[in-house]
Amino acid sequence: MSESIILVKNKEIVVPGQPLAKGKLNLGKDVYRDKFGIIRAKKLGLVDVKEDNISIVPLSGVYIPREGDITIGIISKITGSTIIVDIRSPYQGAIPIPRGRAVERVNMRKYKLKLGDVLLAKVKAFDGSSSLLLTIDMEGLGKLEGGYLLEVDPAKVPRVIGKRQSMLSILRDKTRSELIVSNNGRIWVKTPSLKELLVLEKALRKIENESHISGLSDRTSSFLSQELSN
Amino acid sequence: MVMPLYIEKKPEVLITEEGIRTDGRKPRELRPIRMTVGVLDKADGSAFIEWGGNRILAAVFGPREVHPKHMILPDKALVRARYNMAPFSTPERKRPGPDRRSVELSKVIREALKPAIFAENYPGSVIDIFVEVLRSDAGTRVAGVNAASMALANAGISMRGLVAACAVGRVENFVICDLNHDEDMWGNADMPMAMLMESEEVTLLQIDGPMTESQFKEALELGRDSIRFLYEMQKEALKRPYQVIERSVKGDL
Amino acid sequence: MFGPELITHNLLRDYIRELASQDQRIDGRSLHEFRPIEIKEGTFTKAEGEAWLKLGNTQVLVGVKADVGEPFSDTPNKGVLVSNAELLPLASPAFEPGPPNENSIEVARVVDRAIRSADAIDMSSLVITEGKLVYMIFLDMYVLDYDGNLEDALTMASLIALARAEISEVEVNDEGEMIIKESKWKLRLKDIPVNFTFVKIEDKLLLDPVLEEEQVSDAAITLAIDKEGRVCSIQKKHGMFTMEEIIKAANIARSKWPQITDKIMRVI
Repeated sequence: MSESIILVKNKEIVVPGQPLAKGKLNLGKDVYRDKFGIIRAKKLGLVDVKEDNISIVPLSGVYIPREGDITIGIISKITGSTIIVDIRSPYQGAIPIPRGRAVERVNMRKYKLKLGDVLLAKVKAFDGSSSLLLTIDMEGLGKLEGGYLLEVDPAKVPRVIGKRQSMLSILRDKTRSELIVSNNGRIWVKTPSLKELLVLEKALRKIENESHISGLSDRTSSFLSQELSN
Repeated sequence: MVMPLYIEKKPEVLITEEGIRTDGRKPRELRPIRMTVGVLDKADGSAFIEWGGNRILAAVFGPREVHPKHMILPDKALVRARYNMAPFSTPERKRPGPDRRSVELSKVIREALKPAIFAENYPGSVIDIFVEVLRSDAGTRVAGVNAASMALANAGISMRGLVAACAVGRVENFVICDLNHDEDMWGNADMPMAMLMESEEVTLLQIDGPMTESQFKEALELGRDSIRFLYEMQKEALKRPYQVIERSVKGDL
Repeated sequence: MFGPELITHNLLRDYIRELASQDQRIDGRSLHEFRPIEIKEGTFTKAEGEAWLKLGNTQVLVGVKADVGEPFSDTPNKGVLVSNAELLPLASPAFEPGPPNENSIEVARVVDRAIRSADAIDMSSLVITEGKLVYMIFLDMYVLDYDGNLEDALTMASLIALARAEISEVEVNDEGEMIIKESKWKLRLKDIPVNFTFVKIEDKLLLDPVLEEEQVSDAAITLAIDKEGRVCSIQKKHGMFTMEEIIKAANIARSKWPQITDKIMRVI
């Protein structure tokens, strides 16, 4: 690929508009090509160059839904035909309550859904601007009972999960807790006691703050051991 | 009837023949500037700028749901900006609430930042920008633009680039940058300016006071050079928290 | 309690209640413990006195400005104190731009009432010419970041800003003209009436609630204690309390007063 010049180092922190490369490269996430053909960052983040692809791993950002995402939502309104769900995004989710005796309707009754309830829901369809359909009609989805919700910046969700769920396993095992991490950055936890919850929260802040520095799993693991032994 | 405990005093000399200004600066010299990002917990993005005697806080919320609903734009994000001065930001207490000046500045700041935002990436949502002047000392709108632009980047919003801003102007025959209070009050021309730095396009430009053709050209160039300097400061300020953490983590190892 | 539009969920409600019943709190504090209080150093306003105070993640900035003007006709021998609070839209997604609403007016009045009822400012010392010219003190409270308990944060910051205020001396000459002098005088506090806010959750009283605790609480009350240990102002907000609970809250507040005033005294 002699036709391309990369102007930044891989994993370097760049700001929006910063020139990244010139020439023939595939544009990944959160980059754009300006009118002079220069590839620039759209967001504050880390440069990620993989073969012919260049993209930005953002360091922060609001959750924008994609079809197939698993989200944790909070019921903010119930009308005769729809359950409105807040998913920490500019777009509210809707779960239609079908007429008749459809499976979903039976599920609604089973859960006795009410305002403020917390749902594990999947993004079924999203038109990109206004209509966002969620579903809880699948194995494993539905109302979350007990436990508590923590939050991380949605941009940091991949780091909380880790490669092949490595980070998630560390968090679960060390704190002896149940954890569900959703794409919208809400994390449902059930910990043995308040102590583990407070340690988990600190660990999540640490993951958020240090996500751009390698060796995150090892650091988190020893941090948890140390905090929990206190 | 309320009278302020403050008297405006005009300096005898605004600029010496050698080009020394009332605060001792040379014509092309900026006041001390410090920028910090991520200063607020509840906002999605925030920045604080200390520029000369100015203290300005900027925060960004969004993209978030639009209220009231009738303002929704179906194909892009609505961008709103509010410039507001604290009652204690001026020598004479300012009555709270918007006045004609702050309404205009809110619009000018919005128009300065909007071209930098990929609003089409967030259809049907709103991005709210709040600029709060806590202490004013000439040049609050340009300081506010710098802070707001950093707050947008800090919030992780898709942008073409950062917008940096600086005021330039004229005192007698000198074209100067970064007007201080005296120059703002008694100088001959004031020209706040902002640019989308990566493409060097002007997103804010106002002039109050006359300049000749050559002075105007000189002012534009001085504006661009000053803005370049501010842009480098913005970049540094946005990256700094991550570098600080990196140093402390590596120091621990 | 502000912002009904802020999303709360039932797990939050249930968990905070469960913890309270075991004398625990969501951030690990004990029931009657304040969050860390930090007073930021530096100059942030053009006010005659100021304080930028952090109470946990709640941040407030208070500025005291002085002007001169005519006294009110019914109090010709007293100065004027005007208190105003702004819940800035940058402080919370629940705050909207606009004129003061019932929440911002209430919180400003709760702070104002504590200061007035304890006679913390000698209002007669603000008189320049009786019946004609007095100092007018403007107490402007700015909420920058809202994570619960604005009352206590704003009261502490207001007391500090007032005690730090240095105001230009004014003289009236024989022709009746006002002359602003170079010299300054200090607005001294006669008392330090601190506000203490409690919420009630599961029959427990929690001092200095965070936002989440405010949101799920059954009731809320703010009490001011003066230097004699007297309760000098109260504002019961939402919900209800038994008389025993109110007496208990006053006792807890009284026991915490020295700790808070010590913090305040260190920076004024």
